[in-house]
Amino acid sequence: MSKITFQFEQGDPVVAYAADGERLLEVAQKSNVAIDAPCSGNASCGKCRVRLISGELESKKTRHISEEEYENGWRLSCVSTVKGDAVIAVPDIASAYQSRMKVADLSSAGEIAIFEHAKEQIMEAGLELKNSMRVVQIKMSQPTLDDTMPDNERLTRAVQKATGIERVKIPYSVLKKLPDVLREAGFHVQCIIRITSIDVFLYDVLPANQKATVGGLAVDIGTTTVSALIIDMLSGEVLAKASAGNGQIRYGADVINRIIESVKPGGKKRLQDAVIKETMNPMIANMCQAAGIKSHQIYRAAIAGNTTMEHLLMGINADPLRMEPYIPAFFKTNSLFAQDIGLAIHPDAHIIVAPNIGSYVGGDITAGTLVSMIWNRPEMSLFIDLGTNGELVFGNFDFMVSCACSAGPAFEGGDISCGMRATDGAIEACTIDPETMEPSYHVIGEEGTKPIGLCGSGIIDVISALFRGNLINPKGKFVREGRRIRHDKYGMGSYVLAFEEEAGSVRDVEITEVDIDNFIRAKGAIFSAIRTMMNYLDMDISMIEEVYVAGGIGSGINMKNAVTIGMFPDIPLEKFHYIGNSSLTGAYTMLLSTEAEKKTYEMARNMTYLELSTVPTYMDEFVAACFLPHTDTTMFPSVSEELV
Amino acid sequence: MPFNRKPQKFNAAIKTVEIGSGDKTVTLGGENVLPFYSFDGEIKNGPKVGVEITDLGLDHEIAGVKAYYEGAATIGEIAKKASEMEGADFVCLRLIGGDPNGENKPVEDLVAVAKEVADAIDTPLVVEGCKNVEKDSELLNKVAEALQGKNVLVMSAREENYKAVGAAAGLAYNQKVGAESAVDINLAKQLNVVMTQLGVKPESIVMNVGSAAVGYGYEYVVSTLDRIKAAALSQDDKMLQMPIITPVASETWSVKEAMATEEDSPEWGNQEVRGISMEIQTAAASLAAGSDAVILKHPQSVATISKMIKELI
Repeated sequence: MSKITFQFEQGDPVVAYAADGERLLEVAQKSNVAIDAPCSGNASCGKCRVRLISGELESKKTRHISEEEYENGWRLSCVSTVKGDAVIAVPDIASAYQSRMKVADLSSAGEIAIFEHAKEQIMEAGLELKNSMRVVQIKMSQPTLDDTMPDNERLTRAVQKATGIERVKIPYSVLKKLPDVLREAGFHVQCIIRITSIDVFLYDVLPANQKATVGGLAVDIGTTTVSALIIDMLSGEVLAKASAGNGQIRYGADVINRIIESVKPGGKKRLQDAVIKETMNPMIANMCQAAGIKSHQIYRAAIAGNTTMEHLLMGINADPLRMEPYIPAFFKTNSLFAQDIGLAIHPDAHIIVAPNIGSYVGGDITAGTLVSMIWNRPEMSLFIDLGTNGELVFGNFDFMVSCACSAGPAFEGGDISCGMRATDGAIEACTIDPETMEPSYHVIGEEGTKPIGLCGSGIIDVISALFRGNLINPKGKFVREGRRIRHDKYGMGSYVLAFEEEAGSVRDVEITEVDIDNFIRAKGAIFSAIRTMMNYLDMDISMIEEVYVAGGIGSGINMKNAVTIGMFPDIPLEKFHYIGNSSLTGAYTMLLSTEAEKKTYEMARNMTYLELSTVPTYMDEFVAACFLPHTDTTMFPSVSEELV
Repeated sequence: MPFNRKPQKFNAAIKTVEIGSGDKTVTLGGENVLPFYSFDGEIKNGPKVGVEITDLGLDHEIAGVKAYYEGAATIGEIAKKASEMEGADFVCLRLIGGDPNGENKPVEDLVAVAKEVADAIDTPLVVEGCKNVEKDSELLNKVAEALQGKNVLVMSAREENYKAVGAAAGLAYNQKVGAESAVDINLAKQLNVVMTQLGVKPESIVMNVGSAAVGYGYEYVVSTLDRIKAAALSQDDKMLQMPIITPVASETWSVKEAMATEEDSPEWGNQEVRGISMEIQTAAASLAAGSDAVILKHPQSVATISKMIKELI
């Protein structure tokens, strides 16, 4: 056995023991050292680079590491195997995904506006903004020698009287504190209850004069990013908001790799722990602190995620999802409680899970569709969720069709050598002067933050600018030369957005032909899915009246550029609306309004699911769409007009 | 009711591409009707037939091919005989010896072969590379340079090397360029788009949209040819109006139906007859689906296909 020491820029080193010949990436994963490996260790993304400080590794050279970098000890951990004791430095680029948990500052109106807007729309649609959580004031007569009813029965009768419902459940947690609270409060208490038409569940009892907080938790579990809210269940007010990288990412960037990992011995537990213990519970703790409440004061949760994420969250075997005929364990489930999965909120809290439609159209989409409101409008609308998978819903108040396409992780910066999520240091918007070929860009973060990489919206801008400036051809290959364009020894071209000295990282920020190619495939997948779905309905692209775009691609997505590269249909730009993380907003809405929750179930049941892989023309559409803007330029009149 | 013939007229036509110099030039394309639909409109330039020879000589060829070239010792003499074959419109020289995984002949030697062939014949010449992307980039560049003025068709520019091959053959040395894609209408069009953006004139491009021997996924070839012709004529898609050339011999003579000897597969009968049959069937189908030229090898195939063309047009 050899001793492998992992060092970090911050924090204590981790020591692991491994047999010679073992892959370094696996050694790191086993010892819980987070190395970003979106491609699951296929040496294709170049993200898992580490630096060898001392000792030896058996490493293959790849195009991701230059000769010079290799000399300096840089290695890709997925193609490096153990060969004796070694000390490895894990750079911040790699550990970035996990550490950057962000608790949002709610003092800015922008953060809350989207939820206020969702509330208004739900009310406009005639759905009641009411849920099953209540606080009831209960005043009981004090027991005497003549009135010897035990405390729990006394409370039960009082609650029955107050609510008119016969069946009242008092859990052990309440029973345990009941004698003290009743006597301290002089038998005048308030109860936090969940009320349905047949029963009442009593979550907590506290003196009548104390402040009763009824917290609720809304979560969007994305394949890459998890976002959450804590809200006041009675008023709907957002008390705290946070986001963090999904801890499961170390097991692969996409759902298929996660499923494969989960099938290995102990895998289901590992993936469940990664998302709950490592990701959600710390987020809840931080949010509770920000909101000034205790985590057990969260009595209800709503969770939306894609079908795989929902399965893995519950520790349910997701393997059938990836194999024909692709059958999930559930579309809808009503029987999940916090204690079942170890979620650090009130153990008896009921968890609402947004319903799935198919193995590749999940709860994130049904929740998103709910807040897109396309089900309540006459206009033919298209809802697009750009995540690791691209999902589409098209229709209006009469019908809805959904489909999913595998866009790959490019929209969230995966599979792109300098790609990253939309966090500090990401270039989120960019233009390039066609004459000088010099870029100007906007970087997320405080004024003066140096660029580290590109997020989805930045990539769209860069490719669009390169294409418009004729730096690349419609296949994404460089056709001009200049200071910022270079070719490696294999002939692969790249464009340097920021040279090392301008960048906030240890290397140049550049976009390569391979990156562009990956992105063209991603956008091709989206557009060909739109086309295929519209063809399936015998409708022309021009019949799309409104487009709602959701997803973590970056709030600043430039619709014009997205049309220029042929990702979205060429319809007037004012028809496009960016609605942010609609999955989270949907979860929030389901949490707050029982009628909205029911509406979501109903909508999911009525939505037609189109399996693209069964449509023979999809592949043809896809190849045609893997071109800038499209092989059939007549579909992009405004783009061809501008380029001529 | 009497039968009323309604000609299927298109307002678009396939572009014409002329190859060769001097008296014996060949014009590909120009039609504005579906393949062989001469009853709908005149087909000015019928499909053409080319004869394939290679820089490797005749050693590996089948008996009937060897017999035809008997007495030809040099590549120039072989080429001369090929150009005189009954039904031949042009000669296609394949420089397979350049393949780095095969004989890996140096570029200069191959260019010399190409020059010798070009000087020996007065019919138009098509030069095919060795199919290795890197080698072809250099080889076809040099061939295009050496054969300046001959107006040869240089095959092929592919997505990976279209810049090198297209710039040399189509721009610098004023030859015609073959644009090769892999049996996919969209990829064929995309290559034409980037080639023309490079500056190569559409009138200098001949498409090779890929082929297969019949029975080897050939349905894809037919469907691709069909749809390209349909898009070119009925939708007036300018980026698909280049004439199409289909190398047939290189596909059909390398499948087991053509390669298994009679001793090995007695139930299949004479090997040469089988090979010719494969070649003729594939060529006929390619022409019927929209190819403007085919490249064949066996004298009997060349004669048969050229007869078929004459009788149908």
